[in-house]
Amino acid sequence: MALLELNELTRRFGGLVAVDHVSMRVEEGEVRAVIGPNGAGKSTLFNLITGLLKPSQGSISFAGKDIGGLSIPRICQRGIARTFQLTALFPQMTARENVRLAAQAREHRRWQFYGGSGVFSAAGRRADIALERLGVSAVADRPAGLLSHGDRRLLEVAMALSQEPSLLLLDEPTQGLSVEETGQAVEVLSGLLAEGNMSVLLVEHDMGVVFRLAQRITVLHRGAVIADGPPDVVRQDTGVQTAYLGGFA
Amino acid sequence: MTLLTEALILGLFAMSLDLMVGYTRLVSFGHAAGYGFGAYACGWLLLHTSLPMMATIPISALLAGVIAVGVAWVCTQATGVSFSMLTLAFAQLLYAIAYKWTSVTGGSDGLAGIPRRPGPFGLNIFATRNGFYYLVLLVLLAAFLFCRALVRSPFGAVLRGIRENEAKTLALGYNTRAYKIAVVTLSYTLGALAGALYAPFAGFANTELLFWLLSGQVLIMVIVGGAGTLIGPILGAAFFLTVEHQLSNYTEAWALFFGLIFIAFVIFAPQGIWGLIHGRFRRRTAVQPEYRRGVAGAQ
Repeated sequence: MALLELNELTRRFGGLVAVDHVSMRVEEGEVRAVIGPNGAGKSTLFNLITGLLKPSQGSISFAGKDIGGLSIPRICQRGIARTFQLTALFPQMTARENVRLAAQAREHRRWQFYGGSGVFSAAGRRADIALERLGVSAVADRPAGLLSHGDRRLLEVAMALSQEPSLLLLDEPTQGLSVEETGQAVEVLSGLLAEGNMSVLLVEHDMGVVFRLAQRITVLHRGAVIADGPPDVVRQDTGVQTAYLGGFA
Repeated sequence: MTLLTEALILGLFAMSLDLMVGYTRLVSFGHAAGYGFGAYACGWLLLHTSLPMMATIPISALLAGVIAVGVAWVCTQATGVSFSMLTLAFAQLLYAIAYKWTSVTGGSDGLAGIPRRPGPFGLNIFATRNGFYYLVLLVLLAAFLFCRALVRSPFGAVLRGIRENEAKTLALGYNTRAYKIAVVTLSYTLGALAGALYAPFAGFANTELLFWLLSGQVLIMVIVGGAGTLIGPILGAAFFLTVEHQLSNYTEAWALFFGLIFIAFVIFAPQGIWGLIHGRFRRRTAVQPEYRRGVAGAQ
């Protein structure tokens, strides 16, 4: 059974069909990239899966249960974590506080209104581990708003990771990074993904990053799936080349 | 002693608003609703029942809290300015009810002759003027400790998350609406507690306690004192009351001068009185690294 299964998923905005009968499966431990030109429906797809948008048609099932139409926090509590295309952080909190708040969301007593904010030692530990693994421990005590763009991108991944999700959605993790920073980020990410204890859905424009990280690739074009398969197969697909890759491969 | 007692009551009122304004960035323009309701409820209970003051004060606050759940549920349907307008609408609604429902509220005269009834068990130290001061002081201290624990707790961390980036807090799996309802309810309850103390203190409750002018004044106290610090709004309330008393000796138009002071604070000292004190203290000791506390209202 696939961890995430999209079945004929459709989302319309007025006359525009942003996501058009998309069916896709993400197996446990699989790293799948979703690529496509701007406006192909990648971000809409992420927003449908995480509950920011309600599907117009079709179903989304996660771990065997239908999650289409559930609220954002409910979906997150099922074990889906995401990062945003535009980095979303708490700028006045320190990096550690950012990750701790993310980790705390999985605690059953997250409504507790006494004891310091570090009262959940397990959440604190998960936060520290996540900071360590993304290589941002050195800046853990600085306000997130003062970090470099690269560190902020990594911090957001650390926040998602600290929730120990079974499915992680990364929306252009290397967007806006320098070549050097991209290299470091890919290094860190490939190390994480190689462990295979969570599935990853990745939207990325940098094809170098995609071919380095992804085991399977889904190509979207105008909301519809035009190709699906391992990187080598997708690379050779002529339809994909005309639609998107433009001779890259 | 009288002025001091009033300052402490207003301090509690302003601190209760700080939970919303300072920690969650939910700006209420109708916080007088809680205060006025508490005052009327407590006044009515003291006039029409034989319950002692020590019972009517908490009962009034709890009653306000129950109603506040509904108010919070409605107001948090909206965000930003719409939220503020809804809080104002509820306050004006209560104002209209207090004005019209003469048989219960006394209409435009309000409730007068509210006693500080002693008891239970012959406990009468708090009924005296000085005793009442200590009662208010104790309540404020307890409320302050409670709020301080709250804002430092995991719950408080979520409130700060909502303040800084609600969409992200939601995406992390927190039901932010529920947290907002909780903090609005709590804030109104504590505001009503302050109002419930005011009624037996002043001996009366009138529609001014529900008027939008008071909602605006308490917001000014929070901002001038330093939003998001708990202690700042208490100082802000004392400052407001002192300035009002001093200036009104000289001029009828004291509010005009207070307006100028308010503008000066917003422009030159946006962290408020507590920010100024704290800033000076930090420069002298310089124990905390700059970035830990350097961001306005970060704590």
